[in-house]
Amino acid sequence: MNRIFWIFIFYIFLLPQISAQLFTISGYLKDSENGETLIGANVYVKNNVDKNTASNNYGFYSISLPPGEYILVYTYLGFKDEERLITLSSDQKINVNLKSGVLLKEIVIEENTSLDQVENTSLGRIDLSTETIKKMPALLGEVDVLKALQLLPGVSAADEGSAGFYVRGGGADQNLLLLDEAPVYNSGHMLGFFSIFNSDAIKNTTLIKGNMPANYAGRISSVIDIQMKEGNDKHFAAEGGIGLIASRLTLQGPIEKDKTSFIISGRRTYLLDLAQPFIKKTDFAGTNYYFYDLNAKLNHQFSDRDRLYVSGYFGRDILNYNSSERGFNLNMPYGNTTLTLRWNHVINSKLFMNSTALYNGYNFKLSGDQDLFSFRLNNGVRDYQGKVDFDYYPRPGRTIRFGASIIHHRFTPNIVQGKSGEVSFTNDYKPKYGVESGIYYQDEIKLSSKFTLNLGLRLSRFDQVGPYQSDQQEYKSFERIKTFVAPEPRLFGTFLLNPSTSLKAGFSMNEQYAHLVSNSASTLPTDVWVASSSQVSPQRGLQWSMGWFKSLQEGTYNISIEGFYKILKNQIDYKESYTSNQSIEIEKAFVFGKGAAYGSELFFQKSKGRMTGWVGYTYTRSWREFSEIENGRRFPASFEKPHDLEIVWNDEVSKKWTIGAIFVYSTGRPFTPLRSVYYIDQDLITRYAPRNSARYQDYHRLDLSANYTPHPNSLRKFKSSWSFAIYNVYNRKNPFFINYDLDSDLATGKAKATAYKVSLFPVIPSITWNFKWN
Amino acid sequence: MLACLVMLLSCETEFIPLNINTDPEIVVEGYIEQGEGAIPPYLLLTNSKPFFTTLSPNQLDSLFIHNADVVITDGVNSVKLNEICFNDLPPATKKLLAENLGINPDSVKVNICAYIDLLGAIKPAENHSYSLKINVNGKTVEAVTTIPPYVPLDSLWWREAPGKPSDTLLQLYSKIKDPNDQVNFYRFFCGINNGPLRTPFNSVFDDVLINGKDFEFRLIKPREPGEEFDQKTFGLFHTGDSISIKWACIDESHFNFWNTLEFNKSNQGPFSTYTTINSNIKGGLGIWGGYSSRIYKLKVKR
Repeated sequence: MNRIFWIFIFYIFLLPQISAQLFTISGYLKDSENGETLIGANVYVKNNVDKNTASNNYGFYSISLPPGEYILVYTYLGFKDEERLITLSSDQKINVNLKSGVLLKEIVIEENTSLDQVENTSLGRIDLSTETIKKMPALLGEVDVLKALQLLPGVSAADEGSAGFYVRGGGADQNLLLLDEAPVYNSGHMLGFFSIFNSDAIKNTTLIKGNMPANYAGRISSVIDIQMKEGNDKHFAAEGGIGLIASRLTLQGPIEKDKTSFIISGRRTYLLDLAQPFIKKTDFAGTNYYFYDLNAKLNHQFSDRDRLYVSGYFGRDILNYNSSERGFNLNMPYGNTTLTLRWNHVINSKLFMNSTALYNGYNFKLSGDQDLFSFRLNNGVRDYQGKVDFDYYPRPGRTIRFGASIIHHRFTPNIVQGKSGEVSFTNDYKPKYGVESGIYYQDEIKLSSKFTLNLGLRLSRFDQVGPYQSDQQEYKSFERIKTFVAPEPRLFGTFLLNPSTSLKAGFSMNEQYAHLVSNSASTLPTDVWVASSSQVSPQRGLQWSMGWFKSLQEGTYNISIEGFYKILKNQIDYKESYTSNQSIEIEKAFVFGKGAAYGSELFFQKSKGRMTGWVGYTYTRSWREFSEIENGRRFPASFEKPHDLEIVWNDEVSKKWTIGAIFVYSTGRPFTPLRSVYYIDQDLITRYAPRNSARYQDYHRLDLSANYTPHPNSLRKFKSSWSFAIYNVYNRKNPFFINYDLDSDLATGKAKATAYKVSLFPVIPSITWNFKWN
Repeated sequence: MLACLVMLLSCETEFIPLNINTDPEIVVEGYIEQGEGAIPPYLLLTNSKPFFTTLSPNQLDSLFIHNADVVITDGVNSVKLNEICFNDLPPATKKLLAENLGINPDSVKVNICAYIDLLGAIKPAENHSYSLKINVNGKTVEAVTTIPPYVPLDSLWWREAPGKPSDTLLQLYSKIKDPNDQVNFYRFFCGINNGPLRTPFNSVFDDVLINGKDFEFRLIKPREPGEEFDQKTFGLFHTGDSISIKWACIDESHFNFWNTLEFNKSNQGPFSTYTTINSNIKGGLGIWGGYSSRIYKLKVKR
């Protein structure tokens, strides 16, 4: 064991040093206008692009070179390139503030330059800027990060208008959603029609749909890593908007210029608030529904080496239903809370450390009462997490990342408490606890000018721990009940065919210890997360993928073709005869099986110039198989849409007008049709055909948008603009669900069974007024 | 808000998916009951029909399976049930059957046929199991059910309607003393003014949450056929009416059948998926269910 340890130390720390003497240039890359750190910006030696690096998730970069004179080029899409002449004879700290570009105003997808897109080892990774998302047409004017992600190849929407999504044939619970590194367990407001992410508070969104790096863990399909803005450290600024259903306001500014800044951003809906004067006069006085989000962040730079961030999110959906006619009251609040405390520390010019303490919680509550009867139901998840990540840049062309994390989970099942008259009742369920931990090592090595390899290994462990009372034994706090340990290897490689073309391939294996099973086509706030336990084995995902990447005209055009094959083990579904009976533990309603998905993705993108946009096409098949469902018959996943096409177009017509369009087409998703009817108790009863054996009609839709800035060149501090959007321009009646109408009276000899296609959103225009004060 | 959106924005058009070829399946609806006024063991034997269908009275007549060999056994005695059809019955028997089937005898246009133990050869008793075996057209269908011990309603009483005061509406409360020695499953029926016994949308429950307790709960008035949902009157009884409450105990598989059937009926829409109805019939669909039951008659009054 000792020998292995020393070999490991030698490999990580000493081997990279055994080379010619190198000096290191390191620092932070920021936006000169507001001080926001720039993620994924490129730094390279002019006339020698092989010597390059990129800023990490915190804007830090490091590049080590032999002594000499260099011109370092700093590039970031949408910003002017910055060149620095450097005479290198010792380690240097160079912080660079990049200025917003003039020529490259419209950036649709920041896959970075051709250099990055083609050369890096990331497969299926896309960064999406919030500015891009804001220019797309949005349903009811509500800009939504998750809906924008649905327009990328490999990502499919859950349902009409829904912010829910599926990645490469994986389930809804298999996407790791991170907000400032804190996992988010329920990303939807209003039954998933809007996501919880307020675009005004978000700096950047990264989607990893392929092989996820070893620092990400806990889900087997994808990562959506969302970073909140840090707050303008140059000057105070306010922005906001008034829309049809919600308004939002963001305030940010320096507390101490260039050192300490804050941002606070809120959003709230008010459709039913406006109707309150009318509702008050009815028997439903007090009935209301709204949701709100509050994001806040504070950061302080102690020194060139140390920076501290505190950020949080608090959001709730609140439904109150009151009926005075029969004295019935219902109250349903639910939502997420996250809190992130992050310390960035530059240990030395080559070694960067990020330590994070996290809290996140999701709570769902439902209570109601009428006369002598009252009930209360609640469920949720609560995590405390600590993690530390290191980025080590030993030499150009090599980046090592390693770290460790530990999470204490509490999973609260549906706990029901009620009272009928004088008698109280409860299902007496107790929360279940788990400790999820992991260590990882990842090494990206440029083996030659053409070949780059990325090796990663994560060792994960999950302990179901007490307090817990089984049928046989009582477990105390932190006492182990069941342990799972698994290695999670990842291997990616890039082979450069020529400076603008590359082939990439990768393999990854991931474990998932938290599970959510939904009995509907999309996830709902009532769905309950459960932990791996003696009853529920961890899900395992294995993915092989490869791709061809081409960049033209210095990254103006990017083309990629990717293919993937995914094996999904220990998949979970409800029993065929599932009912939401709160007196049965949910794990007892599960069945376990397997699944697989495969497909290919084509992506053609224009990312520079007046007109920008992309065409994405995905072919995916995804199936599931459970021995206890239809005797093991293999059936398509309920979200499988074999053909999925997205066209996104944006045109900066003038300084005042920007117009955009989105067209989406996909095969209709599967559903389980009715096969026959029969009589029981004088009523027609339905019998279903095999699961997912029919498909809805194909889905297609066109949305248009226009953004108007009346005074683009105004030097005033206050600026405003208008966003106009039309959702579903040609009023396509896309199927939302099938409603069955069974009209029968056996005695009188009448019976008729009919199905109706219900379409949700017709053509919907919207208008939003936005403002900024700088 | 979602409901508002759906109502405001959604639209419905008839949907006809590709035809699903399906052979008819044998459907059993049979009961064996112990209790005052219980009719002898009987069952309806029908075929299922393809979903997209409009049926006339004649076609509904053709749902019934005739000339089947239906035998029930209590472990000692076996009896072959006789097939009788509604149109062949004397008026008094018609009325009794109609009441148990939950239909109005005067408006019956379909010749409902049932298999019944006319001579009462089987004496249903609590804690006994009863097997059913059907042979028809070369197919065999089998099922077993148990009649559990009866747990009586301890009391029934009227209470003012919740919310706004009403002169004409009352709610019905009852109490049971649930035994704690076993899992109990209950079902409830209600008849208004000597009308047929009907069940509310959620007619069964188990005692997992209330095991061993003296439990007070409200009995919901079932909706009449074709009656629209009205929040003002839902579940409430009108003063002056005479009602019959049938309170029954059932076994677990019988409970699972109604529980999944009622969940299946109520769980439609965009945020739901199907639930397979849990049947205890081998070789067919439906239910062979045992009841231990009593009927309580009372007047709706303050």
